[in-house]
Amino acid sequence: MTDTLNSGVISLILDGTSLPERQLIGGKAWSVARMRSLGLPVPPAFVLTTEACREYFRNGGTLTESMLASVRSGIAHIEEATQRQLGGAVRPLLVSVRSGAPVSMPGMMDTVLNLGINDTSEAAIASETGSSTFARDSHRRFCEMFARIVLKSPIESLSPQADPSEWRTLIAKSCQKAVPTEPFEQLTLAITAIFDSWNGRRAKRYREHQGIDHAMGTAVTIQAMVFGNTDASSGTGVLFTRNPLTGAAIPYGEYLECAQGEDVVSGSHTPVAIERLRECMPGVHAELMRAAQTLEREGRDVQDIEFTIEQGKLYLLQSRSAKRSPAAAVRSAVEMVREGRIDEAEALRRVSAQQVRLLLRPALSANVDTNSEVVLARGEAASPGAGFGIIVEDADEAERIAATGQPVVLSRPTTSPEDVHGMFVAQAVITERGGSTSHAAVVSRQLGVPCIVGCGDGALQGLVGRTVTIDGNGGYVLDGQLRVDQPQEDADPFLRQLRDWAKAR
Amino acid sequence: MNKFNAMHGLAIKKFASAASVADLLAGNDIDVAAGLEAAVAEGQAVSAKGAFMLSPKGHTALAEAYPEAFKALRTDKTLLDGYAQFEFLNGEVKQLITEWQTIEIAGEPVPNDHSDSEHDKKTIDRIAALHDRADPLIRNMAVSLPRLVRYADRLSEALDRVDDGQIEFVSGVKVSSYHTVWFELHEDLLRLLNRKREE
Repeated sequence: MTDTLNSGVISLILDGTSLPERQLIGGKAWSVARMRSLGLPVPPAFVLTTEACREYFRNGGTLTESMLASVRSGIAHIEEATQRQLGGAVRPLLVSVRSGAPVSMPGMMDTVLNLGINDTSEAAIASETGSSTFARDSHRRFCEMFARIVLKSPIESLSPQADPSEWRTLIAKSCQKAVPTEPFEQLTLAITAIFDSWNGRRAKRYREHQGIDHAMGTAVTIQAMVFGNTDASSGTGVLFTRNPLTGAAIPYGEYLECAQGEDVVSGSHTPVAIERLRECMPGVHAELMRAAQTLEREGRDVQDIEFTIEQGKLYLLQSRSAKRSPAAAVRSAVEMVREGRIDEAEALRRVSAQQVRLLLRPALSANVDTNSEVVLARGEAASPGAGFGIIVEDADEAERIAATGQPVVLSRPTTSPEDVHGMFVAQAVITERGGSTSHAAVVSRQLGVPCIVGCGDGALQGLVGRTVTIDGNGGYVLDGQLRVDQPQEDADPFLRQLRDWAKAR
Repeated sequence: MNKFNAMHGLAIKKFASAASVADLLAGNDIDVAAGLEAAVAEGQAVSAKGAFMLSPKGHTALAEAYPEAFKALRTDKTLLDGYAQFEFLNGEVKQLITEWQTIEIAGEPVPNDHSDSEHDKKTIDRIAALHDRADPLIRNMAVSLPRLVRYADRLSEALDRVDDGQIEFVSGVKVSSYHTVWFELHEDLLRLLNRKREE
């Protein structure tokens, strides 16, 4: 094997013809290269390697001539592949710039999207997508990210009502540095900022504590952005290879026609189920399903895939192990063993004690119909689960009564650190004021205690001394002691299977 | 004065050892212990198993002492301006802690079981970015009240532990987590400036 780490390779086109070591190109570029080598459609990209990062520091913290040349030829490759041009007045190219160290570490600079946008390309995007709002918004998002991440400006957000020159003035005032309009200058500043973030306080400290070599360096991945909002044969979406809530082995996803990725996240549009894609573009749908299978097989885990369709052509933007509910974690681990994808030991590794604890949390019995119970108060469900007890309005009293073995529900207008000792012993916590970010909500979730917040001023005052049941999923304070079930491992066939495997070891 | 300071620190900590009250106040253990013992002697605090707690009498005495003790601070412009900005950041901290505890899966809020380290890392990075703004703010308030610097240090210490993988230092209730220290600072400022907590 050639020693690529010291081969002086400072840049690579990620076209799938080879799969370079993660040490050299970082995790992000590695996953792009891997998808390409599997024959999957990924927007064109290139990487500045960790060797370039080391060279950058040897060169006193400036990009060398040969790095600049590599960036130019990398961009030329992307321009050729996309038939777009960085800063172009027609079909402009926008790119994303991401850091990617071989191992993930804290404090590394993240991602700048929409790089390459300026007044010229904004106008071109407006005419290409037919949406000047979208073009302007892309411009704004770029300025925000560039200001925060590259220029370290304290500005958090820019007003959508203002125009780009006003944004630039505001940013320059805040940090005495300007957002360049020239795309190549934007690019070199972003690359420099990523390399510099390798020596940020948190990253350095982390490496020292973890014994990671400071010379490892980070790579920078530069990739074409694709547009899901150019016409009716474009769109964007997210696909899970299995249902992330239940774990059922049925692909689950959302799709938005003629939209960009941010639209799904921002909630400005309501996405439709992935089946819609099958109806309007059956060929693309089938290609996506095949890709999903390939990615799950290769990743040996449930995948969360971001994709965009640009004028009828599918692009996979990212595939990663999917976030999943505890129930889905258990079911998918067991079923993947049955499918022969992973072994029992791996299934056991994939389910944490914390996930099992969450699954076995007490819940209102399925036999209780909240509609036919007396609802004494209702608020925002802030921590799930169920519990019953006698209502007390003071943390000290809660402690005293709980010490006698009597279950209590702590009721407060709001909570503060003075109430925490009462929350420890309570079966549930309810408050009159506050939302899902309030102290009561935060501490209850931390303790795994069911909690309802914001029941309304005075709503709980008359209830002291009553026995109630708290439904932390629905947000109901119900009269009397209702049936609360403690889920048993045996009741869940997947959990039972896992336990049997664990016992057999 | 020792006794008053020690009682103020204890009021924030609620039930704590002299050492942890001293840490909060950036004071020394012996002075704080002496202050707390003096409070116990006057029936303003009770002690059990090496930990102290204010008595109802102590709470009343403290509330009565505040206006005079904090008179100058309550009109101190540096502190008041800093507090206004702190309240603004406080909203963001609460939001971030909530996102740390609850994640969205397929549009539904689900308790974060911390099995997705990438998601956790992103949230931690955002807390660290917020800390980069909070740190100079706290240090600036400390121009008026030097002991507040200790909060900036304790918040950094919590973040360092989180970076080292001890994720209970984000919002753990039993440790000096970022959330715990932040909340103590909030409580301290509310008492200093005679403000009421919103929720």
